[in-house]
Amino acid sequence: MLNKAYVVLPLVLFLMIVILLGRGLTLHPSEIPSPLINQPAPVFELPQLLRKTMTTQNDFLGHVTLVNVWATWCYACSLEHPFLMALAHAHSVMIYGLDYKDNPYQAREWLKEHGNPYDKIAVDETGNVAIDWGVYGTPETFILDKKGRIRYKQIGAITPESWQRDMQPVVEQLQQE
Amino acid sequence: MTPELGHFAILSAFCFSLVQALAPLWGRHRPFYVQVSTRAAFLQFVCLLFAMLSLIACFLWNDMTVIYVRDHSHTSLPLLYRIGAAWGGHEGSLLLWCLILAGWTNAFVFSSPRALSRSFYQRIVMVLGGLSGGFILFLLATSNPFWQEVSQEPMVGADLTPVLQDPGLLFHPPMLYLGYVGFAIPFAFAMAALMEKKFDPTWAKACRPWIMLPWSFLSLGIVLGSWWAYRELGWGGWWFWDPVENASLLPWLSATALLHSLMVSEKRGVFKGWTILLALITFALSLIGTFLVRSGVLVSVHAFANDPARGLFLLGYLTVIIGGGFFYYGCRIQYFYRAPMFQLVSREMLLLINSVILLVAVATILLGTLYPILLDAFDAGKLSVGEPYFNTVFLPMVLLLFLLMGFAPHVHWRQQSIQAVWRHTGMSFLFSIAMGLALPYVCGFPFKGLASVGAALSSWIIVATLQYAYRHASLKHAAMIVAHLGIAVLALGVTFSKSYSEERQVKLQPGESVLLAGYEFKWITVGEIKKVNYNTIMAVFSVKKRHWPIGYLAAEERIYTSHAQVLSKPGILANPMRDLYVALGSPLEGHSWSVRLYYKPLVRWIWAGGFLLLLGGMLSCLHYVVTRQGVKHA
Repeated sequence: MLNKAYVVLPLVLFLMIVILLGRGLTLHPSEIPSPLINQPAPVFELPQLLRKTMTTQNDFLGHVTLVNVWATWCYACSLEHPFLMALAHAHSVMIYGLDYKDNPYQAREWLKEHGNPYDKIAVDETGNVAIDWGVYGTPETFILDKKGRIRYKQIGAITPESWQRDMQPVVEQLQQE
Repeated sequence: MTPELGHFAILSAFCFSLVQALAPLWGRHRPFYVQVSTRAAFLQFVCLLFAMLSLIACFLWNDMTVIYVRDHSHTSLPLLYRIGAAWGGHEGSLLLWCLILAGWTNAFVFSSPRALSRSFYQRIVMVLGGLSGGFILFLLATSNPFWQEVSQEPMVGADLTPVLQDPGLLFHPPMLYLGYVGFAIPFAFAMAALMEKKFDPTWAKACRPWIMLPWSFLSLGIVLGSWWAYRELGWGGWWFWDPVENASLLPWLSATALLHSLMVSEKRGVFKGWTILLALITFALSLIGTFLVRSGVLVSVHAFANDPARGLFLLGYLTVIIGGGFFYYGCRIQYFYRAPMFQLVSREMLLLINSVILLVAVATILLGTLYPILLDAFDAGKLSVGEPYFNTVFLPMVLLLFLLMGFAPHVHWRQQSIQAVWRHTGMSFLFSIAMGLALPYVCGFPFKGLASVGAALSSWIIVATLQYAYRHASLKHAAMIVAHLGIAVLALGVTFSKSYSEERQVKLQPGESVLLAGYEFKWITVGEIKKVNYNTIMAVFSVKKRHWPIGYLAAEERIYTSHAQVLSKPGILANPMRDLYVALGSPLEGHSWSVRLYYKPLVRWIWAGGFLLLLGGMLSCLHYVVTRQGVKHA
């Protein structure tokens, strides 16, 4: 005769899968924590976009810094840009830009048109420095503490919500340190 | 106006789906109410078709007030892709899902299988109405493609992802959906059988084309997808064990098990519960696949927008429909139990083993696909399960399956002695082993285990199947013969291209040449071309073998202007025996580029095998139609 276990087995297995999938909904698989968190910023030396001098990791020392990776060809960066401008007007934090795989001439034109929120901009034409920083794509934003260590990484555009929820508390805490 | 009309059409379709599901209950199955139900099914289809056409019209007229159009189109997008973009995103593809379900329902209603009793027929229509209603509700609640947003700025749209801008977009998703969604009909058949507590050969016979057709479309959809990935992604691979690919393979495997189990139920009246269970599982896997693709729980190349509300709704739908199905199965299954009446060596036994192997394959692939969620759920870290796992677990099962595949047609129902089977097939079996050893040598390849096993099993299936075909040449058996040959061709393509592919990554500049697998690739020229919505750098290579020119191929690096996204479009020089494949990497210093070159023997056979599967499915349906007409005239 039919075994009772055989009768309920499909339902039980199915419900287990459903529970697993339901749990999966609350997880965020694409958020891979950066191995650089709590590490000093990678060493680099790059020309600046708007000045004739070079910029290095030592420029991050002494203040809390946002390092925003952007490019003129990046659509999401142009969406993020107004918020960065607002942030720059508030003067609460230093904002550095890393112009990623871009044409410096176009980048200057773009900033003239859209406004410049950055205190300093490093030009990474080849993208080699961005590789050291573990950049997947643009935009990405790092928060560095006063000792120049990476403390937080945001993948994708900053929105007012993500700023208030995730990034602003980090910045405020680091400024206390 | 068009978006409003489309929105209204979806709402009406929802109402009609409710009528379709509830009218027979209301009218206690009186013929009038059944007719109301089938008419509602038809009107629902008309409404959904209208909605789909409205959406396409919004794309054609660049109606950027519609959020879905704004996010998936661009004023410079070519016309053909504007049509395809209608199902290139989440919302539109769900509308296509609903439309195709309504299409299948109406195909079933109009075919009106006479063999089925009226109560069976109306129960099937009812179940389909309920399925459809739930999905349209999902569409309306979370993913309405006609949502609008008025903005002050003039808009050009965010554009369709460049990877989707390929003729593949026009055919691959609709084909896959025709397969996925089509399994709703066997599901409805199974539910109707459970309600009626009855399952006879006429049921099995009426159900068969409704498994065969979606199975064929799904085969074609998978093959098209694999061909698209090969042509478009520039990685030189044709199968990546990506979660979304797995999601399409899972229902295919269980539907294959279902086809074979159904045959036993039809011919021998056993495995009834098993067949019903497989029908439920197949549709469950289709829905789980839809969930995996649509909810964003897994990382995949087919990444879609991640919205928890959508995932939650789909999961709820899945739980109600499939959980309900399995529960009902548990309650009713005792009515279908029949003591098995066959011996160890019998066709029933082989087909049972076939089902079991396919289901175990489903379970292992499902485990591999869900494993990242499982680990993440227990906070044990994030990881992805890749090719090595899938190849290791999947390959042995498939090889065993192929071994049995040659024997199965030669084994009788009920029982047969091993000696008798061996008398029929022994010579072919030995011949195939010899072929396995000889074939790589004849083709001029070195000896490799996998290739020899592949060649031996392919020739075993081919010889044994042809032997059977010689003794049973008729339309009735043609479907099985062609489909099994398709599997053999596919297996040969997979094992040979896996074993003997060669690839090189080199630094190259125009004028230089490079040697791969005896072919000399010379980079002749490079130029920049402006197209409507992208600029492309095109590199032309000439190919020679032993100083004989073979042909030219052009690899492209496309830069899509609206996205500033780069897409490498490989150049491919193909013939039935091998593909030569060149993909541009990235520019290096000076004029040189990194270039990847591949030599892939027999890779076309994989897709040829897929088309034979489709042909087999079509032949089976043709046989059904022909015999059915014969009955009608008699």
